[in-house]
Amino acid sequence: MSEIQEESKHVQHIQPYSAQSGTMVPLGMQKFLRTCVLWQIIRFIAINIRMTILILKSHNQS
Amino acid sequence: MARLVILGAGVSGHTAASFAAKWLGNEHEVVVVTPNSKWNWIPSNIWVGVGEMSKEEVTFDLAPVYEKAGVTYKQAKAISINPEGSDTIDAPFVTIEYTGQDKEGEREEVAYDYLINATGPKLNFGATPGLDEGHTVSVCTADHAVHAAETLQQCIEKMRAGEEQTFLIGTGHGMCTCQGAAFEYIFNIEHKLQEEGVRDKAKMIWISNESFLGDFGMGGLHFKMGGYVTSSKVFAESLYSERGLDWILGTHVNKVEAGKVTYESLDGTTGEQEFDFAMLIPPFAGVGLKAFSKTGEDITADIFAPNGFMKVDADYTPKPYEEWKPQDWPSTLQNPTYKNMFAVGIAFAPPHIISKPMSSPNGTPINPTPPRTGMPSAMMGKAVAQSVCDMIKGVSETPTHTANMSKMGAACVASAGKGLFSGTAAAMTVYPIIPDYEKYPGTGRDINGTTGEIGLAAHWVKHLLHYAFIWKAQLKPGWTLIPE
Repeated sequence: MSEIQEESKHVQHIQPYSAQSGTMVPLGMQKFLRTCVLWQIIRFIAINIRMTILILKSHNQS
Repeated sequence: MARLVILGAGVSGHTAASFAAKWLGNEHEVVVVTPNSKWNWIPSNIWVGVGEMSKEEVTFDLAPVYEKAGVTYKQAKAISINPEGSDTIDAPFVTIEYTGQDKEGEREEVAYDYLINATGPKLNFGATPGLDEGHTVSVCTADHAVHAAETLQQCIEKMRAGEEQTFLIGTGHGMCTCQGAAFEYIFNIEHKLQEEGVRDKAKMIWISNESFLGDFGMGGLHFKMGGYVTSSKVFAESLYSERGLDWILGTHVNKVEAGKVTYESLDGTTGEQEFDFAMLIPPFAGVGLKAFSKTGEDITADIFAPNGFMKVDADYTPKPYEEWKPQDWPSTLQNPTYKNMFAVGIAFAPPHIISKPMSSPNGTPINPTPPRTGMPSAMMGKAVAQSVCDMIKGVSETPTHTANMSKMGAACVASAGKGLFSGTAAAMTVYPIIPDYEKYPGTGRDINGTTGEIGLAAHWVKHLLHYAFIWKAQLKPGWTLIPE
């Protein structure tokens, strides 16, 4: 399968001029990273740090 | 000895009761009045609604928890408040009607020194004709979610037999809130249908009162992504497009019949949408508490807004959208007339909505109402408990703590499936909840504190939150270390 055909599988369900055609759609690398356990462990730590900061800011209202 | 009465044991009421009991000890009494016998971690109802969790995994009995905490628990619903007392009772009191504890239907007057109203919403299915007639399902309670999962399973069986099915998920009225729950539910159904191998037999449609995808009742949000600042509209549209979900926006569903909804749109058009399975969130209203003066005069309109939510220290002066300010939102959540009364979570009356008000050419309001569930509710519950405890102990005569949504952030994790290694969830944070265009020109929010990303990690966060918050709510060892 050529590279163009490989990438088109991520968008082939979209109908031209439909509402779905007006937005961004993730390709293979983006989808891979979403389920790549090593990368997601890093993101898990990052999300938790981010949420902790959010909680601290919210509790310390001044 | 002072008595603090808390109406409601949801996220905000239970948080307030737990902390107040801990801080007040045996010197004072904390009373919780709630019609429910169980506590429910509502965010996980989504997983119950697709059959991935049981009701027992998202609920637990309140009685033993309150017994352990030294809280007086009355399984009853509040009927009315007499903030000045009455002819026969000098102290302020609430009238309650038991729903359990072998006293069903019995009424009682419970006197209080301080009152926290945390009653949550009335699920106002009656606001849309037909929405309460069983044509649709809901995930608002654990029992509703169990029924939703059973209905979903019947659809899956039909699809396995070769039938095509149309799924309609979203809001059942022009003034709904909680789009996030429906948002998460449609992705969980889509994931479930993929897992069952029947996704090709399903047409999936999102229907919402939002004027754009990703409004979430907060006027949308912006965050950094790939070197750009992008809007939640693009983020949400991408999620829907990737999964092949259609959407109908800016709608007020005005009628529900068997297999069909009728709706009015912001552009004045009307439409119909047929369905085989529909989960439509109802609008919320106050629970219908009445209030009476010492002489028995009905003062409900003085204490509650027309939608039934309790007035607090917000600025309720009607003004156009362009003049809305973060300062309109309440800080102490104290009732302006009766200083020993507070309202938290969904029970307080917001000064106005957050999204820009819109209506159809017929004048039908079609806009999301403000979300104030989950994290903000818990923070309000804790802040008000701190203020009340300080007032009871004589530390201060005025509230010592604030929980203003214009200075508070919120986190939202919307799963798509429950697996630790399959499916992908969206994790979003927003700061502040109420946009502040003076402090954060352009987007109204801190683009470093407002974020969105998709991946397995968000699934893990959702699992972590599920177990951590149920542990905390059960007041198990170390519960105070788990933040709200």
